[in-house]
Amino acid sequence: MHRNRIAWGLLAPALAFVGVFFLLPVLALLAGAFHVDGVPGIGRFVQFFADPLHQQVYWRTLRLAGLATLVSALVCYPAAMALVRVPPPWRGLLTGLVILPLMVSPIARTYSWIVLLGRNGVVNSTLVGAGVIEQPVQMLFTEAAVFVGLLQLMMPLMLVSLVSALENLPSDVLAAAHTLGASRWQTFTRVVLPLTQEGLIIGGTLVFTGCVTAYITPAMLGGPKVLMLETLLYQKVNVAGDLPAASVIAVLLLLTTIAVNQGLRRVAR
Amino acid sequence: MNRLSRGALLMLVLALAFLVGPFVVVFLAGFSGGESLKFPPETYSWRWVRHVLEVEAFQRSLVTSLWVGFGSTFSALVLGVPVAYALSRFQVPGREWVRTALTLPLVVPGIIVGLALLNHMVLLYDLPVTASLLVGHTALLLPYTVRVVSSSLANLRVDIDDAAVTLGATRLQAFFKVVLPNIRAGVAAAFVLAFITSFNQVPVSLFLTGPGVSTLPIEMMAYMETSYDPSIAALSTLLVAFTIVLVAVTEKVLGISKYV
Repeated sequence: MHRNRIAWGLLAPALAFVGVFFLLPVLALLAGAFHVDGVPGIGRFVQFFADPLHQQVYWRTLRLAGLATLVSALVCYPAAMALVRVPPPWRGLLTGLVILPLMVSPIARTYSWIVLLGRNGVVNSTLVGAGVIEQPVQMLFTEAAVFVGLLQLMMPLMLVSLVSALENLPSDVLAAAHTLGASRWQTFTRVVLPLTQEGLIIGGTLVFTGCVTAYITPAMLGGPKVLMLETLLYQKVNVAGDLPAASVIAVLLLLTTIAVNQGLRRVAR
Repeated sequence: MNRLSRGALLMLVLALAFLVGPFVVVFLAGFSGGESLKFPPETYSWRWVRHVLEVEAFQRSLVTSLWVGFGSTFSALVLGVPVAYALSRFQVPGREWVRTALTLPLVVPGIIVGLALLNHMVLLYDLPVTASLLVGHTALLLPYTVRVVSSSLANLRVDIDDAAVTLGATRLQAFFKVVLPNIRAGVAAAFVLAFITSFNQVPVSLFLTGPGVSTLPIEMMAYMETSYDPSIAALSTLLVAFTIVLVAVTEKVLGISKYV
């Protein structure tokens, strides 16, 4: 009984902090989406999706997140398999190169695309120089720019997850598959993939939710023309002053990330 | 299958080039000598790097960022270390529930936290913006400090604090004299990780800045909207260099990569 009291004494400050300064304000904000003029209901959601722009933004967010997750899985599986086989001195350096981007300001990482894809950027000037195009084309503030930015920002999360899953894969399993006559592709689909699927699920969840809740990338590379959920939310508050709409978007953001999280977990089982 | 296949190696090289290449681009652009942003630059100089260090808005927001970064990291450790200790040493009923409650700030998108604090704290209770910024960052960092310190405690044998208590130390003495010195590295790693997270944070801060109060990343995003000179590239260069040094040092001293 005495030990219990000490334990709760240690937990209480953090729990009280999270309750008062996090849970309460967030719940109050989310609750704002579920009533219209004091009457509870889902009218605000119906109203929100009645606007074609909002539908477009929601689908774009899901589409870009899904595509980024798929592409990063396709790139990172072979890359991670190569990384775990690199001999030790090089391996530490390469692992550092994967982790470093996670620590660097996402603004600094995203800014490079403004440099590369701008009207005077290297991509445009090369294409003009080679005579492929006559005038610089618009590359920034397109969906493609946002996709490339998201992929670059989120890919390390997939790579790290897959590397740690592959590290736990016993190497004699692969040797056994090889001895028993499995081709490379069969070894991958029947042995490696089932044994490392947890890493894929974790990486996929991180990349997908990271993209759905991205603000910096769509703000810098998409602008007002290529809105995603978070940039739309920002606009609703700071340009339109429409707080109820912001609450609706907040609920959508949260439900979408939770649904993907639970959905992918169920797939793993 | 056990040897490195050439295709996979090629994919690794391409992936790393895609991840690290942008740093090179930003570095070169940051040292450009011209008036406007051009890549590759025609001439190179220190001009823009020197310039950004003199811009008052950047100086002011850097001070705010450092303040909020250190303040929230410290608060998150003061709240988080006892939690990690309680969860690892005591059979708390409902511990899973506690764990879930304390990881919620990672689940809820930062922009929602920022907006909620703006509505609740700033507009409703008239709390100053800087205080809300500090509170929001602390909530966000708490899951990190709890996780890193917990994994450090998991490697420490439970009986060493029990031994201290048996030998006559109070629980408090046992913690400060026996446990804490042994999880130093974990606490330091949590500090670095949390500080970097706060320093780079944008979504939580987005709504919690206003006239006079702004963090460096928010100031950079605002600057970009109006100017197209190499300032942001120069500032990004400094941030990248600073992070590389910080990560290299902490990796060497603490082995931070095992906590990421």
